[in-house]
Amino acid sequence: MIQNFNPDLDLSISRIIRAPRAAIWHAWADKASFEQWWIPAPALCRVAAMDMRPGGAFETRMSENGGEFGPHLSACFLAVDEGSRIVFTNALTGGWRPAEQPFMTAVVTFSDHPEGTEYLAHVMHKSPDDRKMHDELGFFEGWGTVARQLAELVERRQ
Amino acid sequence: MENYSEELDGVFQALADPTRRAVLGRLGSGPASISDLAAPFAMALPSFMKHIRFLEDSGLIRTAKEGRVRTCSLERARFSVVEGWLSEQRAVWQARTDRLESLVLAREEFLRDQEKKEKDK
Repeated sequence: MIQNFNPDLDLSISRIIRAPRAAIWHAWADKASFEQWWIPAPALCRVAAMDMRPGGAFETRMSENGGEFGPHLSACFLAVDEGSRIVFTNALTGGWRPAEQPFMTAVVTFSDHPEGTEYLAHVMHKSPDDRKMHDELGFFEGWGTVARQLAELVERRQ
Repeated sequence: MENYSEELDGVFQALADPTRRAVLGRLGSGPASISDLAAPFAMALPSFMKHIRFLEDSGLIRTAKEGRVRTCSLERARFSVVEGWLSEQRAVWQARTDRLESLVLAREEFLRDQEKKEKDK
């Protein structure tokens, strides 16, 4: 389904997990399990909506320090194939309603592997077409180089 | 994304000043006390402290006080924020996958133990 990989906008994480597909699927589909890994500790995650079917809402909320929960991800499932694939985007919210600030679509696939399951997350990001984003990227690309050189300098001194 | 912009603003402002860059360069070879860091600069201590606070607020360094001496050290992880938005996203997904994996493996082990206990009964 993934037509072409754009190295400037996409990322792909592949992992062989030594567990059956069903176990990994459960960690995704079971809210209590999902909340344990979606956001790094000490921040807390709460699943506000996880309606696992095309058009279903997918919303997580986050608390930085155990206090009030604020917005984290507000997305919509595009495809859910039990045990094998989950596709969601934050370009839409539940019921296919267009979202305010879209920037990514994620395709997560689970496939059998001799050592367990191959878990693959392919995340596609929005093209930085609009001016604000473009300016921001241009701004930090230049700075990024400077900062990287500084970091390298700092590392070398060790 | 918006939080990310704010973070970037702080980091870049911190890096925009030659004194602050020199301090970061010095801290690259290891932690140092404020007075050692201030020594090469012809500047009053309160002015120098402003730079230190700026670096600390931006998350590029951390400071710790022991007795009368305040020691500064580099917060290396912070430098990754400027390497680009995509690498930041990659780090998020990488870490997320790590956590998913360890949760799944822990549960599998728990279930195996339970099964074994049942059998042993």
